[in-house]
Amino acid sequence: MGAAQFVLENVAKRFGNQVAVNPMNLEIRSGEFLAIMGPSGCGKTTTLRMLAGLEAPSEGEIRLNGVRINEFKPHERETPMVWQSLALFPFLNVRENVEFGLKMRGVPKAERAERAHRWLQRLEIDQFAERDIGNLSGGQRQRVALARALVTEPPVLLLDEPLSALDANLVVRMQTVLIRLQKELGITFVYVTHSQSEAFAMADRIVIMNEGSVEQVGTPREIYRAPTNRFVAEFVGTNNIIEGTVSSRKAGMLECDTALGCIRTLCGENNPIHPGNRVDLVIGADLIEVSAEPIWSDNCFPAAFIGEEFVGSVATLHFETESGDEIRVQKQQRETESLELAHGKPLYLHWDADTVYCLASRTSDERGE
Amino acid sequence: MKPRHNMDIYALTWRLPVLVWQTLFFIAPLVFMIAMSFFLVKNYRMVEAFELVNWMKMFSRDYFWDSYVLSLGLAALATICATALAFPASYALAFMVSDNIRRWAIFFLIIPYFTSYLVRIFSWYVLLAEAGIANGVLGYLGLGPFTMLNTAFATIVGYMALTLPLVVILQTLSMANIDRSLIEAAHNLGAGRLRTIVSVVVPAGKVGLIVGALFCFILSFGDFVSPYYLGGSKPPTLTILITDTTKSGQQWPRAAVVAVTMMATLMVIAYSAIRYAYNRRQP
Amino acid sequence: MRRDRLVTWLLRIYLALIFLFVFVPIATSMVFSFNSDRFPSLPLGGFTWHWYDMVYKDPDTWEAIRTSLLVALTSSVLATFIGFCTAYTDFRYRFRFKGAYLALALLPPTIPLIILALAMLAWFSKIGISGRVGSIIVAHTVLCAPFAMAVIRLRLQQMDRDLESAAWNLGANELAAMRHVVIPFTLPSIISALCLTMAVSFDEFMIAWFVSGLNKTVPVMILEILQGNVDPRINAIGSFVFAVTVTLVVVAQLLFSAKTTTTRS
Repeated sequence: MGAAQFVLENVAKRFGNQVAVNPMNLEIRSGEFLAIMGPSGCGKTTTLRMLAGLEAPSEGEIRLNGVRINEFKPHERETPMVWQSLALFPFLNVRENVEFGLKMRGVPKAERAERAHRWLQRLEIDQFAERDIGNLSGGQRQRVALARALVTEPPVLLLDEPLSALDANLVVRMQTVLIRLQKELGITFVYVTHSQSEAFAMADRIVIMNEGSVEQVGTPREIYRAPTNRFVAEFVGTNNIIEGTVSSRKAGMLECDTALGCIRTLCGENNPIHPGNRVDLVIGADLIEVSAEPIWSDNCFPAAFIGEEFVGSVATLHFETESGDEIRVQKQQRETESLELAHGKPLYLHWDADTVYCLASRTSDERGE
Repeated sequence: MKPRHNMDIYALTWRLPVLVWQTLFFIAPLVFMIAMSFFLVKNYRMVEAFELVNWMKMFSRDYFWDSYVLSLGLAALATICATALAFPASYALAFMVSDNIRRWAIFFLIIPYFTSYLVRIFSWYVLLAEAGIANGVLGYLGLGPFTMLNTAFATIVGYMALTLPLVVILQTLSMANIDRSLIEAAHNLGAGRLRTIVSVVVPAGKVGLIVGALFCFILSFGDFVSPYYLGGSKPPTLTILITDTTKSGQQWPRAAVVAVTMMATLMVIAYSAIRYAYNRRQP
Repeated sequence: MRRDRLVTWLLRIYLALIFLFVFVPIATSMVFSFNSDRFPSLPLGGFTWHWYDMVYKDPDTWEAIRTSLLVALTSSVLATFIGFCTAYTDFRYRFRFKGAYLALALLPPTIPLIILALAMLAWFSKIGISGRVGSIIVAHTVLCAPFAMAVIRLRLQQMDRDLESAAWNLGANELAAMRHVVIPFTLPSIISALCLTMAVSFDEFMIAWFVSGLNKTVPVMILEILQGNVDPRINAIGSFVFAVTVTLVVVAQLLFSAKTTTTRS
C-alpha cells in the first residue's frame, strides 16, 4: 500500500443547520481499495462528493498529494465517479458516453475512439458500442459507467453504491470485475456502500460511519473481530452483544456478571477496565460451538434451539438461553446435521474466553441516543 | 473558509434574463400605468403630474359605476353559469370514463384555446343572429325567432366560449384526484349519489372548483370582445370603457383609472377566493 | 339500479352537449368559409373558394401574415430563451426570494390582457418604442415566456440531477456541461416551447392591437374586419389561422411526448 493520497483534516459539512459530516480525519492511501460503510444518512456519500468537489467542505482541509484542493472545481479534479443512478447520458450511445470525458479534455477524435474502444473491449461490451443506453441490461450499463469513468486513466475511482440496483448474482460477478480491475490498474478505489458483504468482499480497509462521524477505520478483520464500539459491533456481522458488569479481574482474565451468568473473557495488561465497570461483551456468531452435552470450557451455557435460516451453505441458528436472551450461532450447514436440531431441543453453547471481545459501555449520552 | 460562489457569473447568466425583461416590460408598465392615473391631460397632451383629478372625475360619474356594476355582475353571472354548467360534465369525466378517454377529452378541451377567440366569437355572432342558424334550427321546431344578439345572454354565451373548457378541465383534474375510497365509503354508509356529491365530492374537490371559478371570473371580467360584439356594447363594460377611452383620444389617464380599479378588484377577489379555497372552515 | 343507468346516460348526453357547444363555432366557421352566401345562414348556399380567393388576393392579408410570422418567430425565440434560463435557475439553484422570483416569472398570464395592453401602450410610448413591430415582439415575449418556462421546467423535472454533476465530474466545466448535457436533454421541450409560444403569439390580438400602431397582425386584422359588417372573409382567415396554430401545437405535443418514454438512464 502506498503513501497517503487524500488527506481529510477536520473536514466537516453542514447544509444550513443540518450537520451532514462532523469534523473528521481520514487518510486514503494510494492504490488501496477503501470502503466507506454505514447506514443511510450517515454522511458517507457526502464525504465521497467532497472528494469529487461536488460539495464544498464547510470546515477543514482536503489535500491531494499534499496540495489543498478545497477550492478546485469538480472539472479541475481527476476524480471520476460511478454513480448510484449510473447517470449515463440517455441522449448519447454507449461509445459516446465512454468518450465523454476524453472529449471534454480535448482529446482528438481518432484517439478518443481508439481509447474508448480499448475500454469497451476490456469490459467486454465492445459489441454494444453503438447501442442506445435504453437498450442495455443493468449489468451492461454498469460496465458502461465503469468504462466512462476509467477511460481517462485517473489515479482514483470513486464509487457511490454502484451495485445497489443489481440483483444478487450479478452483484457477485461485478465484485469480481471490480477487484480484478483495481488490482490490475493499481489505482485507488473509494467505494461507498451500505452493504457489508460488498465492503468485506472487496476492501483493503473499511471506514465505518454513523450520524456524520467516523466510528472506526480498519482492515475488514479488525472491524470484524475488534470493533471499537458497540455501534460497529452491532452494525457489522452477526455479533452477539451481551451487557454485563465486571466482577473480578485477575491475571488477564475478566469475569463478568450477565443475565446469562458469569462470562469469562481475556483482558490485556493495558485495558483500563476494572471491577464494577459496565461492559458490552461481543461474541462473534461463528465462534460459538454447539454440543449436545455440557463441556468443560471457559463459557458454557444451556440453551434451547428455536429456529434457523440459511444464506447459501451458511446456517444461522437461533437459541434461547434460560435467561430468555437470544443468541445467534453461524455454522456451515453440514456441521449442523449431526446436531439433529428440532424446535425446543436443549443443547449447550460454549466458547473460549479469547473469543469474547470486551467493550467498555458508552453511556447513552455518548451514543447519541 | 471563503464562500465558493461569491460572484458566480454562470448562475447570474441564467437568473438575470427574466428579471431584466419582466422588470422592464412587465412590472415597469404596470407601475407606470398606476402613476399615469394621476397624470393630467392638457391641450390633448399628457402631462406628468400627481393629481387626483382623474380619479375624482371617474368616480363621480354615474356611467363609470354603471359599468363597474355591470362588469362585476356579468362576470359573476358567467362564473356561476360556468361552474354550474361544467360540474356535471366534469363529474362525468372524473368518475364515469376511463383514464384514456379523460386524457383525450382534456386534449380536445384545450384545442379551442388554439383557435382564434375572435373567429369563435364571429361564429357565435352568425349563430345567434336574428336570421342566424340558432333561430333557423328553432324555426324547424316551430319556435322563435328570438332576439339573442346584443343581449346579456349573448355576452354570457361569449364568456362561456372563452371559459367553459378551462373550467371543465380544472374541475375534472381536481375531482379525478379525489381518493376513490372516500366515495365508496360514502356509498357504503348508504349515501345516495346526490348526498355523496354534496358531502364528499364537493368538499374534496373544493380547491379545483374555486380555482376554476376564479379563472372564469378573471377571464370574463377582463374580456372585451364578447360584451362588445355579442352584447352590443351598450351599456359598456369596464373593458369597453378602457378601449374606447384609449383608442379615441388622449384620455389615457382616465383609462388607467379604470384599469387600476379593475386590477385592485381582481386582486381582492383572487385573494379572498384563494384564502377561502385553502381554509378548512369559513365562519 | 335502473335509475343509475338513466343518470349515466343523461350525463353522457350532457357531456356530448358540452363538446357540441365548444366545437360548433369552430365547425361553423370552417363550413361557412366555403359557403357562397354573403350572410351565413341555413340552408347552406353553394360551395365556393371565393372567400379564400379574396383573402389570398388582398395584399393587406399578406402584409399581416408577414408581420404575424415575424412577431411569432422572434418573440417565441426570445420567450423560449428567457423561459429556459428561468426553468434552469429554478431547477438548479436555491436562493433567497426565489418565491418572488418565480412569481415574477409566471405572473403575466394572470393579468387581464386589456390591462397589460394599456399599461404597455403607455410605457412603450413613454420610452419611445411604441407603434412598431418591435413593440409587439417585446410585449408578446413578456406574455409567452411563462409558457416556455413551464414546458421546459417539466422536462427538466425528468432529468436525473446526477447527470449534470456527472458531466462536471468527467471534466466538463459548467458551460460545457450545459452545452453537452442540459441542452441536448431538454431539446425536445425547447422545440415544444418554441411551437407553443409561437401559437400563443400568433393568436394574441389585444396587446397587439394596442401597441402595434399601423403594423397589423392577422388577429388584429380580423378584429378590424369584425368591427365592420358581417364578412365571411373572417371564416377563411380564421380557418387558416386555426390550421397554422393546430399544426404548431400538434408538433409541440408530439415532440414533447416522443422522448419522454426513453429518458431515464
